[in-house]
Amino acid sequence: MQRNPIDRQPWGAISAFLLPALTIYTAFTAYPVLRTIWNSFHRVLPRKEEFVGLANYAALAKDDLFWRAVGNTFIWACASPLAEVGIALFLALALYARVPGMRFFRIAWFTPVLMSYVVVGIIWVWIYNYDWGAANAILRTLGLERWAAAWIGDPKLALPSLIFITTWMWSGFNMVVLLAALHSLPSEVIEAAELDNCGWGAKLWHIIIPLIKPTLLNLLVLSFIGKMKIFDLVWITTKGGPLWSTETVSTYLYKRAFEWSTFDLGYPSTIAAVWFVIVLLAVLGLTRALRSREKLEY
Amino acid sequence: MIARAFLFIALGLYTAFAAGPFLWVATMSLRTTSEISRDHYAWPSTLHWEKFPQAWFNSNYSVYFENSLVVVLSAVAVLTIAGAMAAHCLARYRFRANRLVYFIIFSAIIFPPQITIIALFQSLVQYGLYNSKLGLTLVYISIQLPLTVYILESFFAQIPADLFDAARMDGYTEWQIFWKVSLPIALPAIATTVILNTILLWNEFLYAVVLITDDAKRTLPLGIQRFMGDQLEDVGMIATGLMIAIIPVVLIYLFFSEKLIQGMTAGAVK
Repeated sequence: MQRNPIDRQPWGAISAFLLPALTIYTAFTAYPVLRTIWNSFHRVLPRKEEFVGLANYAALAKDDLFWRAVGNTFIWACASPLAEVGIALFLALALYARVPGMRFFRIAWFTPVLMSYVVVGIIWVWIYNYDWGAANAILRTLGLERWAAAWIGDPKLALPSLIFITTWMWSGFNMVVLLAALHSLPSEVIEAAELDNCGWGAKLWHIIIPLIKPTLLNLLVLSFIGKMKIFDLVWITTKGGPLWSTETVSTYLYKRAFEWSTFDLGYPSTIAAVWFVIVLLAVLGLTRALRSREKLEY
Repeated sequence: MIARAFLFIALGLYTAFAAGPFLWVATMSLRTTSEISRDHYAWPSTLHWEKFPQAWFNSNYSVYFENSLVVVLSAVAVLTIAGAMAAHCLARYRFRANRLVYFIIFSAIIFPPQITIIALFQSLVQYGLYNSKLGLTLVYISIQLPLTVYILESFFAQIPADLFDAARMDGYTEWQIFWKVSLPIALPAIATTVILNTILLWNEFLYAVVLITDDAKRTLPLGIQRFMGDQLEDVGMIATGLMIAIIPVVLIYLFFSEKLIQGMTAGAVK
C-alpha cells in the first residue's frame, strides 16, 4: 500500500458514519445486556432495588422448572438441526437431478418460513385438533385410528409435536440454501465421479457432502441458534404446557418476569444472564467442534 | 423410470405437506364457521368474501394493520440508512478499531432476546416509551441492525476502491461518496435487506407482546393472538384474520421471491 496524504483517515467522517448505528446499539443492545446482568444480583421491585449478591443464582441452581426448560430447549435445539438439514439434503439432491418445474417447487417449499410463528402456531393447533384436525383425519383415513392422539395435549407427545412444526417450517429454507451450494459446485467433479462408475451413495458421501460441508455446518449452527431462542410458537400453541412438557427457557423467563406477578425482575434477569452464557458457550463450542473435525479430514 | 416416478411422488407429497396448511386456511377464510364445522375439508361452495370486511372493521384489524405498517416501515427506513452508513464505513475505511466495531455489532446476531428484554422493558417504562409505537420502533431498529450491517458490509466490501479514489479526485466529500457512489451501486443489496427486514419485523411477536399492552397500539401478530383468545370457537373468522396477515407477505414474496431468498440465505452460505 502506498501512503499519500489523501489516504489519511478522515476520522470525522468515520465517526459520523458510525454514530447512528452505535448509538442505537449502545442504547438498545449493550446497555440492556449490562443492566440485565446488574439486575441479576439484585431484587428489583417497581420502586426499590436491593443488593442480594448471589442469592438469585443459588435459587436458580435449585430451580427444577428452569432446568426442565433448559432440557426441553436443548432437546429441541439438537433434534431440529439434524431433522431439518437431513430432509433438506434429500430434497436438494432430488431437485439437483434437474426436475422440471423447479422454480415452482422452490417457491412452494420456501413459503412456511415467511409466515410468523403466530400464524403457523394457530394453523397447527387446528391441524393437531383431536376431533377434526388434519393429523388425526389423515390417520383415520388410512385406517390408523388407534394412532390418533391429542398431539399437543399429551405431555409425552407435545414436545415432539412442536419440533415437528419447526421441522416443517425450516426444511424448505435449508433446502434452498443447499441447492444454491450444490449448484455452485464445479460440475467437472461430479461428472468425473460419474465416469469412475461411483455408486450413488458413495458419490454422496465421498464427494458431495465434503464439498458442501461448510454450508451444511452453517445451516446446523443457524438452526441450533434459532431453536435456542424459540418463544412465539410455544406461546401460541401450548404456553409451555401440558405439565411443563414444552416449557422452554424463553417461555419460563416470560412467565417469571411478566405473568406470575411476583413483581421481582431480578430473578428473571438471572435466568436471562445464565441462559446468555449457556447460549454463547454452546454456539462457540458447536462451531469449534464442527470446525476442528473438518480440519482432521485433511 | 421407476426411480423418476418415485422421485415425483416424493416431491409431490412434500409439496402438499409444505403448502397444504396454507391452502386449507385459505379455503376456511372464505367459509362460515357453521359450514366449516359440518366438514372441515370441503371446498368453499359459496365464496363468503364479506368475511374480510367484517374482520377488518368489526374486529379492529384495520387498527392492527395500520400499527404494523407504521412501526415496521419507520423501523425499516431508519434501519436501512443507519445500517448502510455503518456498513459503508466498515467496508470502506481502514482504521484501527474497524474489526473490533464489526465484531461487536456482528456478535449481537447470536444474542438470545431474553438477555435484553427485561432491561428494555424497565428502560422504556422509565423514559415513557413503554406501550408506545415509538418505543417498539426503536427496539425493532436495534434488533435487526446487526443482520443488516452484516449483509450490507459484505456487499460494500466488493465495490472496487478505485471508484472511491476517482470520486475523491473529482472533489466529492466523504458524505457525497457514500450517497452518490456507494448507495446507488449497492441498491440490489439494500433492496434485499429492506424486504427481509420488512417481513421479519412484520412477523415479530416477542418484543411486541412485552412492550405493548393497549389494544389500540397492538401490531398484527398481537391482534391475531387476542382475536384467537376471544373467539376460540369461531374458526372461520380466525382463518379470515390469518389470511389478512398472510396476504401482504405473500404479495411481497410473489414480486420479490428471488431477492428474499437471497436475503434469507445470505447468512447461511459463505
